[in-house]
Amino acid sequence: MMTWIFQLLVFPGLTFFVWIAFAFEWLERKTAAKIQSRVGPLTAGPKGLFQPVADYFKLIFKEEIVPRYSDKFVFLYGPPLYFSVPTIGAAFIPVLGMTGVLSHTYDLLFILFILAFSVLMASILGYAAGGRYATISIGRLVLQYTSYEVPLILSILAPVMLSRSLSLSKIVESQTNLWYVFYAPISFAVFLIVSLAELEKPPFDIPSAKTEIVAGWMTEFSGRALAYIKLTKNLNYVFLSALATTLYLGGPLLPINIQDDFIRSAVNLAGFLLKTFSVGFLIFVIKSALARIKIEQATSLLWTITTPLSFLQLLIIIILR
Amino acid sequence: MSRDDSLEKSLKETTAGLIQYSPEGLVPFGPVHPALKEPEYFKIILEGEKIVQVIPRIGYAHRGIERAVQERTWIQAIYLVERICGICSFSHSLAFVQTVESLTEYEVPRRARYIRLIIAELERIHSHLLWLGLVGYWTGFDTLFMWIWRDRERVLDLIELITGNRIHKSYATITGVRRDLPENIERHIQDAMRYLTERVNFYKMVVNSEATILTRTKGIGWISPDVAVKLCPVGPLLRCMGFKRDVRVDDPYAAYDEIVPDVKTSTDSDVLSLINIRLAEVEDSIRMILEAITGIPTGPIKTTIPRTVPRGDGMGHVEAPRGELFYFVRSEGGNRPVRVKIRTPTLANILTATEMLKGHTLADVPVVLTGMDPCFGCMDRLTVIDLDKGKEWQITGEQLRKYGIEWYKRNGVGEK
Amino acid sequence: MRRRIAIAIPEMVKTVFKVAVTKSYPFRELEVSERFRGKLDIDPDKCTGCGVCAIVCPASVITMVELGKRKIGDREVTIKRPVFNLYNCISCGQCVDDCRFNALRLTKEFELAVPDKNSLIMRKAIELAS
Repeated sequence: MMTWIFQLLVFPGLTFFVWIAFAFEWLERKTAAKIQSRVGPLTAGPKGLFQPVADYFKLIFKEEIVPRYSDKFVFLYGPPLYFSVPTIGAAFIPVLGMTGVLSHTYDLLFILFILAFSVLMASILGYAAGGRYATISIGRLVLQYTSYEVPLILSILAPVMLSRSLSLSKIVESQTNLWYVFYAPISFAVFLIVSLAELEKPPFDIPSAKTEIVAGWMTEFSGRALAYIKLTKNLNYVFLSALATTLYLGGPLLPINIQDDFIRSAVNLAGFLLKTFSVGFLIFVIKSALARIKIEQATSLLWTITTPLSFLQLLIIIILR
Repeated sequence: MSRDDSLEKSLKETTAGLIQYSPEGLVPFGPVHPALKEPEYFKIILEGEKIVQVIPRIGYAHRGIERAVQERTWIQAIYLVERICGICSFSHSLAFVQTVESLTEYEVPRRARYIRLIIAELERIHSHLLWLGLVGYWTGFDTLFMWIWRDRERVLDLIELITGNRIHKSYATITGVRRDLPENIERHIQDAMRYLTERVNFYKMVVNSEATILTRTKGIGWISPDVAVKLCPVGPLLRCMGFKRDVRVDDPYAAYDEIVPDVKTSTDSDVLSLINIRLAEVEDSIRMILEAITGIPTGPIKTTIPRTVPRGDGMGHVEAPRGELFYFVRSEGGNRPVRVKIRTPTLANILTATEMLKGHTLADVPVVLTGMDPCFGCMDRLTVIDLDKGKEWQITGEQLRKYGIEWYKRNGVGEK
Repeated sequence: MRRRIAIAIPEMVKTVFKVAVTKSYPFRELEVSERFRGKLDIDPDKCTGCGVCAIVCPASVITMVELGKRKIGDREVTIKRPVFNLYNCISCGQCVDDCRFNALRLTKEFELAVPDKNSLIMRKAIELAS
């Protein structure tokens, strides 16, 4: 029981993922700076590694301004609930071995529910804050969500069909011979595009478009609530990259066979980190080379290009198996 | 007074009942907004995501410069006038100086005219590069924004080598320029221009083939030329509709009669054509600078700087990077200007830009507003027009303060 | 031109391997050009107290202070020297151009942020003259 709680809360559960989220943000800022001929975070910690941590703590100590016409209860206590969504999801991801901390036979359904729930939470938070910008942003957010949900489910369906099970542990187990990315590359590409839409990164930056609607549904938040929201955004990023590695890149498994238990866990951990960071880096490279498109163009892109492509991939799998 | 009532009342005041709207359909864009460099208030009236009308309300950056100039001598006024705007600062000082020179009988020496052309074209390059970076920023393309501003630093370093400062150049004076060009400047200029030419070619390629930028700018902001001409736009906004108007060619000043610019126009009046016109102007400026620096004549750089200017009314205009900048100066023979009137290009363009936005969505607002290259800091002047009494006058600071206090008391704002 | 997606990626890769353009100021000193217009400086030996700089300054930085009287022949002349309120100075250089005795110059110093405005009042000309 105690080991289970330790695994859930510290490693490889909550605290571990929070540190990975901070590391992702550092990687994002530093690579963005290198691409743009600047230096990124520099002085907080060696090479600026503690900059995201410093930003998080700075926000926690700042004053929270609650707008007069907002729903105060949801405004103040909603963000921790929003924060819990990707953390619970991350507990299902196999990190050290074939099983995650909370795995069971139908956990992929729960993960789909979590992805839908986070959009719902974002809308509730935006409505609680109120204001013109939040209203416009939530309209765009829900519209974008309905457009990317179908390609998301279809691209998750490909590994399910290949492994004939809805459990993440089974999916990782059946990739011991060959990773699914080689069986279903089109679905992998579709999953990456849909992740950009889920994470609100360019070109699907639309619900929180900085120069049109200030910050969208996040505009009115400040202080601790904003700290939670920003951390949740980073956690979403980690969660989707980890999901991509588990479904397509074989989770923590590397093609090395080791007998010793402890060393095998360590090698699995290293493999998991390597792959997750690579997927995160790939998403980041695509994001920084594209401008933001409009909401009509985003929905038409997601419906007319990604959905048929994922259907095509499923057909190929059915025919070849 | 409840919040919605006062909002409706203030809307009725500004729209003068011209349009039926509902208060929920109003999105305030500004005065403080990440998309605007300077504060201006645009009331955008939406139906869903479609824009019905945009009502600008200006005056947030008003500093009373025309009044302050009346208390300074002619030379001191140059320093005040160049600080109206940071991006087109040399255009303001050049226009003022040329207007004053038209009242005196002194001639500007040829070398000074060439040097003025070089600095004016360097400023045009810097302004257009700044603008192109902002187009990248406002469409969410941060990488392009950072790259372009890195290349703009080469131009600013060059300006610092010649004039001593990067933005407020303090370089033009009446009948000439204050200092001569330094030694070895020709080599620096040629290196910088060579670097800039290959970068501009790269940006031309990116802007015209990157799919996400093309979807955001092609066909956006289309306006029919007949409608637009009635609203009197100037500068690249006018040239993108097919009218070949450029002050440097129509009424040459500085050395533009000897080094002639190549004016580019286009017939589709959308934001993409504005980008291409401005990039073509940057290439043209590079050509003119190289021509000027290789063929610059020797000679004096100023005749005499007069302390008093003869009586008269003078008018002058220059082609600032944003359009035609117009100055009117009245002198009564003393050592101070009696009246200076400035008409900046953004003031002429702002109504055209709001007209361009009709029928587009909210996502197009930053793109179109950037397309006209706004410089609101230049723009704000204050004239009070009283339609009932048929009078028009300039308002003093004390009257404005009293009026503001009474208005707030009447509308119950600021009380509990 | 043909439409492409993410056409900036090759350039991004090239830029990663180049040196960043950020200057490490304040960890290292920043170099400015020769003609940079920074803080004003006066050479008190050359100043005669004519007062032209105070008349032409656009920002009203210079005030002439009376230091005493002197007899030249049978005339009595007041000796004046300038005091500079450098917190208002815009470094335009008009006083430098108009001083006939070349007593003024603009240095390359630009780090002028101080906690107390009065520490930017330059009284060099009075101190050395009296």
